[in-house]
Amino acid sequence: MPSVVVAQMVVSGALMGLVYALIAYGFQLTFASSRSINFGQGELVMVSAFVSLTLTLHGVPYWAMIPCGMLFGALMGLVIERTGVRLALEQKSEGWILMTIILGLFFFSGAENLWGRDDRPFPTPIPSDPIHILGVDVTPLELSVGVGVLAIMGLIETFKRRTLLGKALEAVSTDRDAAELMGISARKSIMLSYALSGAVAALAGILVSPITTVGPTMASALILKAFSVAVVAGLDSGFGVVLVGMFLGATESLASFYLGSGWREAPGLILLILALAVRPTGIFGKAVIRKV
Amino acid sequence: MLTVQDLHAGYGASEVLHGVDLEVGQGQLVALIGANGAGKTTTLRAVSGLVRPSRGKVLLEGREVQGLEASRVARLGLAHAPEGRRIFPTLSVEDNLLLGAYGRLPILLGYKGRAVASLQRVYDLFPRLGERRRQDGGTLSGGEQQMLAIGRALMADPKIMLLDEPSMGLAPVIIQEVFATIRRLKASGITLLLVEQFAKSALEVADHAYVMERGRVVAQGSPEELKKQERVIEAYLG
Repeated sequence: MPSVVVAQMVVSGALMGLVYALIAYGFQLTFASSRSINFGQGELVMVSAFVSLTLTLHGVPYWAMIPCGMLFGALMGLVIERTGVRLALEQKSEGWILMTIILGLFFFSGAENLWGRDDRPFPTPIPSDPIHILGVDVTPLELSVGVGVLAIMGLIETFKRRTLLGKALEAVSTDRDAAELMGISARKSIMLSYALSGAVAALAGILVSPITTVGPTMASALILKAFSVAVVAGLDSGFGVVLVGMFLGATESLASFYLGSGWREAPGLILLILALAVRPTGIFGKAVIRKV
Repeated sequence: MLTVQDLHAGYGASEVLHGVDLEVGQGQLVALIGANGAGKTTTLRAVSGLVRPSRGKVLLEGREVQGLEASRVARLGLAHAPEGRRIFPTLSVEDNLLLGAYGRLPILLGYKGRAVASLQRVYDLFPRLGERRRQDGGTLSGGEQQMLAIGRALMADPKIMLLDEPSMGLAPVIIQEVFATIRRLKASGITLLLVEQFAKSALEVADHAYVMERGRVVAQGSPEELKKQERVIEAYLG
């Protein structure tokens, strides 16, 4: 019997962990093109979720709301790139770290003022009655998270490998000057990566909200774990974030089951501290340590 | 084709170029020679837009291009094969070449079909690249990487090609091969601006040459004329 419980916890947690993986993937997208990330990514997830909720409450059908929400996220990604990142990168400064944090705070207070401080339910047509698969109960809602995350990551990875534009993105990330000499605009590539990152953040919000509810504070819970995933997996392995994300999600749900829900946040933090202690020179760690 | 007037450029507060003038005519092969640190590479970088000139003009077919982003200048028909080759090591040889033609190919799908003829031209010129088209660029030898850098620049179908130190770090035999390639490019009518440390070899292939010293052009002329000038002989041809 306990093994069934464990399996149940692991499966539910791992599906949830894919959301962390998706947000971490958003970090990877912008890091590849510009060596910068949006530290307000969690707030972007939250604001996009609120906008999507508003659309839903105004009668926009679920399946039409998803692309609209992602479009909003992409637009916000462009806004962040333009206002918080571009100037700092042009001056070769690390001002983008502070700027993106500040933009995140703006999003946070904006959301509090527009939508209030309460957590709100996010309606979805996907049923949450568990179905029985291989001895484990999984809800279609949980499955939709997994399917959504893997589908969008698969789509973007295919785009990067199959299209000339995707190869151009890789060229910019390996050698910006050489890419410019090929007629590839580094600035446009960075804009594209921020738009993609924003769209991905929005989708993460749309997928997770029906399970966790939407509220201004949802950002902080998600972002810490996404950071842990990104630090542990490194900032260039899409496959890595999926694995680490699922692992973190699973340990988290086991911890909260066996140790109590107060311990839910512990595995993410422990993982983060371990990664920084064992691999302090990780690409990501360097950027943070230099500034703080 | 390319005119550079009173070009000043540098990195941060230190100015490297103090007023460079030069001219490359249609179909010409012009060589830029000089010692290390004379400003040859910076001249090319300022022409192609990798370095923003602080003063002066760069005219490509009469059009002012100084201060434009390098990607814009590239799309106007200037291909720059930079110092150190700078191929994309994690992309395949063929992808490297396709990116060379980025400005004139569809960016999503169907780009391969549109590039077949140009690819074939490069593979004819460098059969070894054809054999290794699926290999990662980083696995090629230094000489092959130089071929790839030149092939990548050719893919753009450029009006003018800037070639920076194609012989750098290569074995003598390979250097001969590189110069044979440059001769072939010249014979096919491509306009070339070549930066070389091996002044002798450069003067053998060039129509016209400029000698740079400390950020300025100190001598110019046809190779025959330059070979007669004593200070050029002393400094670079010995």
